[in-house]
Amino acid sequence: MKKIFFRRNVGMAIIMLLAISCNEDFLNVKVQGGVTNDPALVQKFVTGTYNSLTQGDCFSNGDVHGWGFISVTCTISDDADKGSTAGDQAVPIGDLDNFTTTSTNKFCETMWSGHYIGIGAANETLNLMNTASTPLAQKKIYQGEIRFIRGYLYFNMVRMFGDVPLVLRVPKNLKEAETDPVYATRAPKAQVYDSIIQDLQFAVDNLPIKSQAVAGHVTKGTAQTLLAKVYMYLGDWAKVKALTDAVIASNQYSLVPDYATIWRQVGDNNAESIFEIQTGKFNNANLKIDNYIVSQGPRVGGMGGWDDLGYGFNNPTPDLINTYETGDLRKAATVIFIDNSGTHKGTTLWDGRRIPSSDSVQNLYYNYKAYTSMTKEEFANKLDKDRPKNVRILRYAEVLLMNAEAAFHTGGDVLTNLNKIRQRAGLAPKGSATLDDIWKERRLEFAMEHDRFWDLVRQGRVGQVLRAAGKTNFVDGKHELLPVPNSQILLSGGKLTQNPGY
Amino acid sequence: MMGKSFSRILIFTVLTAISTTLAAQVRMVKGKVTTLEGGKSVEMPGVNVVIVGTSKGTTTDIDGSYSLELADSDKELSFSFIGYTMKTVAIGGQTVIDVVLETDTQQLEEVVVVGYGVQKKSDITGSTANVKGDELYKQPVLTATQALQGKVAGVQIISSGQPGSSPQIRVRGVGTTLGGTTALYVVDGVLTDDISNINTADIVDMNILKDASAAAIYGSRGANGVIIITTKRGKEGKLVINYNNSVGFRQASNLVEMANSREYSNYVQAATGSAPPASSYNTNWYDVILRTALQQNHNISLSSGTDKSTYLFNVGYLTDEGIVIDNDFKRFTMRLNNEYKINNIAKFGFQGSYANSVNQNGFNNLNIDAFGSVGSVYNDAYRAAPFIPSIVNGKYGNTSSYQNVGNPLLDIKNNSVKVKEDRIQGSTFIELKPLSWLTVKSSFGVDVRNATNRVYNYQFESDESTFIIAGGNQRNPQSALTVQNSQAARWVWDNTFTINKKINNHEITFLGGTTAESFESSFISASRKDVPADPNLWYIGVGDANTSQNNGGGDAWTRNSYLARLNYSYNGKYLLTATVRRDGSSRLPSANRWQNYPSVGLAWVASREPFMQNQKVFDLLKIRASYGKVGNDQIDSDSYTNVFTINLPYAFNGYNSSATNGARKDQFKDTEIVWEITEEFDFAIEFGILDSKLTGEINYYDKKVNNALIFKGIRHTILDIDHNVVANAGVIQNKGLEVALNWKDKINENLSYTINANATFNSNNVLDLNGGSPIAGGGVGSQGPVTNTNVGQPVGSFYVLKTIGVFNSDADVANYVAQNGKIIQPTAQAGDFKYQDLNGDGIIDNKDRQYVGSYQPVAYFGLNLGANYKRWDFNISIYGNVGNKVYNGKKGVRILGTDNIEKSVVYSRWTSANRSQKEPAANTGNLPASDYFVESGSFVRINNLTIGYSLPPALLTRARLSSFRVFLTSQNLFTFQDYTGFTAELPGSVINSGIELTAYPTTRTIAMGVNIGF
Repeated sequence: MKKIFFRRNVGMAIIMLLAISCNEDFLNVKVQGGVTNDPALVQKFVTGTYNSLTQGDCFSNGDVHGWGFISVTCTISDDADKGSTAGDQAVPIGDLDNFTTTSTNKFCETMWSGHYIGIGAANETLNLMNTASTPLAQKKIYQGEIRFIRGYLYFNMVRMFGDVPLVLRVPKNLKEAETDPVYATRAPKAQVYDSIIQDLQFAVDNLPIKSQAVAGHVTKGTAQTLLAKVYMYLGDWAKVKALTDAVIASNQYSLVPDYATIWRQVGDNNAESIFEIQTGKFNNANLKIDNYIVSQGPRVGGMGGWDDLGYGFNNPTPDLINTYETGDLRKAATVIFIDNSGTHKGTTLWDGRRIPSSDSVQNLYYNYKAYTSMTKEEFANKLDKDRPKNVRILRYAEVLLMNAEAAFHTGGDVLTNLNKIRQRAGLAPKGSATLDDIWKERRLEFAMEHDRFWDLVRQGRVGQVLRAAGKTNFVDGKHELLPVPNSQILLSGGKLTQNPGY
Repeated sequence: MMGKSFSRILIFTVLTAISTTLAAQVRMVKGKVTTLEGGKSVEMPGVNVVIVGTSKGTTTDIDGSYSLELADSDKELSFSFIGYTMKTVAIGGQTVIDVVLETDTQQLEEVVVVGYGVQKKSDITGSTANVKGDELYKQPVLTATQALQGKVAGVQIISSGQPGSSPQIRVRGVGTTLGGTTALYVVDGVLTDDISNINTADIVDMNILKDASAAAIYGSRGANGVIIITTKRGKEGKLVINYNNSVGFRQASNLVEMANSREYSNYVQAATGSAPPASSYNTNWYDVILRTALQQNHNISLSSGTDKSTYLFNVGYLTDEGIVIDNDFKRFTMRLNNEYKINNIAKFGFQGSYANSVNQNGFNNLNIDAFGSVGSVYNDAYRAAPFIPSIVNGKYGNTSSYQNVGNPLLDIKNNSVKVKEDRIQGSTFIELKPLSWLTVKSSFGVDVRNATNRVYNYQFESDESTFIIAGGNQRNPQSALTVQNSQAARWVWDNTFTINKKINNHEITFLGGTTAESFESSFISASRKDVPADPNLWYIGVGDANTSQNNGGGDAWTRNSYLARLNYSYNGKYLLTATVRRDGSSRLPSANRWQNYPSVGLAWVASREPFMQNQKVFDLLKIRASYGKVGNDQIDSDSYTNVFTINLPYAFNGYNSSATNGARKDQFKDTEIVWEITEEFDFAIEFGILDSKLTGEINYYDKKVNNALIFKGIRHTILDIDHNVVANAGVIQNKGLEVALNWKDKINENLSYTINANATFNSNNVLDLNGGSPIAGGGVGSQGPVTNTNVGQPVGSFYVLKTIGVFNSDADVANYVAQNGKIIQPTAQAGDFKYQDLNGDGIIDNKDRQYVGSYQPVAYFGLNLGANYKRWDFNISIYGNVGNKVYNGKKGVRILGTDNIEKSVVYSRWTSANRSQKEPAANTGNLPASDYFVESGSFVRINNLTIGYSLPPALLTRARLSSFRVFLTSQNLFTFQDYTGFTAELPGSVINSGIELTAYPTTRTIAMGVNIGF
């Protein structure tokens, strides 16, 4: 009896012990909610790469078209001042504005990082496409879009930093990421430009024209326009001429009659739009580029007493304002003039909103192109001060002006296209045009549109112009480029070199 | 102890032998001493038999028999043996006296729970500490963890005054920066990381496994220490009913005094050049938002049992209002613990608890901003101008229109945050003892939690309907409701067998077993706007569907382990414990999924050696040493798996249609990471002297994590959104010394007392990062991170600029020049801080930051005194913490010239007349992170003071009660601190702790209560 009992108990105990000890499957639990595969992944990766263009995390992870972009393209130029109060963001923005930037400047770092996030996303997507079962025709379009984005991002990179690491693939593991020199050494500018041209040419060859594509996608015209611009920076005027001629001949684009509407919501993806960074709504929330609007919104100051629109940065300069000819319609469409007359009438904007007069506002001029209307425009969340705004990167006006400039160099018709731009601006057509006339037209047409600084560098007169505009710290041969982020030099173990002068 | 007794017996025996030969008149008495063991009579050898009133006596021999010669005058014999109740028998005319000794549950050598089993305290070779539930329950605090503060060497408890919060516990320093630091709690076999659901009244004891050798049985869970909690069981006997309560109030134990209107006005005038508007108001914003709060705790327990079954049932209810207005915490707990003896072989048991808690406006629970992450109220109360009234006739003072700071009262009133939680935790077991030396046990435990967070933000405009004067940024044009429901469930199934054999002087206990554990959690959240303000309408469906947002996610992991432990004891003198646990986890890649955690501990009880029997100094002398490995598994489940970030949309058609969803591989992962493994060496001496009145323990430990997970900065040319990969690259060391002393004495029948003192000295140091990047933490407003974790420094060290005085004149500024000729602070003015230009480049920037200490204390200590005089009992617990630093982040968030200022600063600031070198001139804030904000974190606090009185038995009988005690208690009665802020006790994750930013002030509680036994 006792024996049987013993056996039964011990037997039971052993069964208990073994019951859960020999099943490896028990440990095969997948990460919950962690997507590792998806049939629609290629398409999602393409969208995700586009999403990289909306990065605006200028204070930590990465920026492409946010406040960092505003600062290194616009505030840095003679079009805009830092704005806000004197001490506000003295580092990093004040330094950029005054050319006292150091290699630890956060915006320089996040612009570097944000662009490589986008480039990495593009590389990752192209890599995935190698094995994806997407139909070939669709695959070509995806590849064209992604390679355009990669080319565009590298174009910004060479313009910001000169020579940069040319990363066109994805590291296999941490060791490769840490040791492969590709990720840590700068490729000569010329090599980067080669890559940009190849990417953009692929896009030109494989993308549909605008009328055959969904708005917001990159098209053949987009690629042609950007490629023309790249050639313009390289001084290859014949190619600029040919590409812009092709865009004009495609009949996909035209100038809209009212310049003032271009940067409003009604102007989103309008007839003139060639490449614009899209914003809107998602999950009933605003889908925006962080800080793009709120950083530039008119700021409360002086006596206060009103709920302001933003932080008051990137103010149009008197130098820009004084450049407009009398009657230029673009002036009032570009600048919000704060009432400084002492009559306290304030400023009434296009949608009827009144901004108080200068005794309650911090600065005298604000960027009208960065204004969004709470009453006349649609947003998922109107109360958010940082509302969505599509950022216009390439518009048809630029095709016309590039064409004019190319014609100037190659001996073609400069005036027709130049005067189309002037005419819309309410100005008399020119009978003859110098290179300076074309450049001035570019400045005013694209004022506050992130082109001015790089355009001055391209024109080879950046130091001269900026010093004349009071930016006396500008040193030729140094300040054309931003410093390579110190953090990246450290992470490269010193392999990454610094730009001259920094 | 044993050794000494034996030596005495030996001497007695010899003396007796001599005396008997000399004695003239003799008579003999003999007999047998037995005890009952499992219903059987067992002979007891070695029992001390002494003739009362003499030094004569003997010990029983191997079969329990004895014989003694008696003198005529001898009246009584006493029989004693350790662990048994002493028995005194009148001799009378008897010549044979047989005695049955009963085990004494009080005196029985202390047995402690060591994980999957119990062990005699004297046999333990690792470092453990035991605290009784009674001692914890005396304190009017929510969790037992908090009551543990200052009780045990090597265990640091950092708690906030916030009702419902769980204190942080750090056992022997911190060995990780990214992993969790929370100790593992094991409640009746259920593994958990939070015991805020456990009613302290239910706890029998807490046993803390401190070193790797003791904790190795918990393998990859053991690196942060293990706290084993055993809850009460019913006892055989009549029904016992106990009612305990305490009712009291709480208030902030230390307040920061801000400038009043006049002082504020002077300061602002000096700082900005323009005085604030005249006003007759003088608001103390802290008075506005703080209050004296009521706290209550009630418990009723019933317990009883027969020899076949026992039960204990306990119901508890605790309310704690919290000292910030509108805060309110309530907890209801219920416990049922049953045990059934099926037969002589099988035993079945069940322990279950249910807890329900509701936390209203528990600050820092959720940071939802509509001008009120509720935590922002602290910043606002610090900054708000005193000349603005808080509220007048229902209209709020408009601080925001004047100074862009929210009205702190409105910050609270415009939000409602409610967190409700239900939690069921329990375990059931069956234990078989088929043979006297074999025990087989299977136990299954569960822990199920279900919580709802509901946040409502009221709609209000910055107009005259809300404010006295319209304007400003403090407004919330659209009401919003966010509801989040989260649940977590885990089960753990342990199957173990224990073999215990004693052969002569060799005792072997072997434990073997397996455990399996599974965890699952999920959450779902939703929010909508435009939900009406009536609380009965606070449901998602009531809001505007066009504004709806939702989210959800989850986690799951499993673990399977094998464990084995061998205890060997030779005659109680030489002790060995060898443990190995093999842990497999779903969270690691299958290639390196399994890991072994071995440990070994050795001890020598020197006082039991024969050669020690002649010395009078030590009653106990034990030397032990151990080595072991434990792991820290508190990292995210997806740490090594490449997953895609989803919901990265792009609005292809602008605002015209909703955006298309996208994905990206945003995190670059090191797919070869493993858990952090701690190697620890421990050496200790335990002693008892002066008849064991003084006992103590001195412990040295050295533990090192060789593969601490740290962020490794990755080149930004690699796609990783935050530019960091988690890699096993850090080496972190904690070395320390623990001293614990206990003094116990009974002066006479009426007065007895105990003194317990303990101190811990810990040195924490990052030895290497192996190419990883220093980890910045502790963000303070615009100052950015103020801590850094780098080689050669403790984890989370403050890393700031160093002030070297205040400029007295413009000439001082001009003369402060770097070697390169640059004026270092060209824009400074007289009265501004002078900062050290560490790198000598002539520019003050982040490169000039230096290490100025960390929040980790050099030492912490506890002093606990207890005394009983007649029917009075008295207790005092003191806790102290020395040698660390805290960061006064409140000061750092002062960013505008119109922000209020501390009263002391108003008077100590630099002026041309008072050229202070410590305090700058009136300024507009925005000062960079510097040692100006770093203050001493040392403090000593009277944690608890309790006086109780128990009614005498005569009165009790008349009232038909078995016990009745009234008491008056105070928690945190007084704190001595150098720190000028609220509290130097500032929980936070390792790299963020020690910063007072939105800290809930430490509170003082004064309560009284009764303990009644029926």
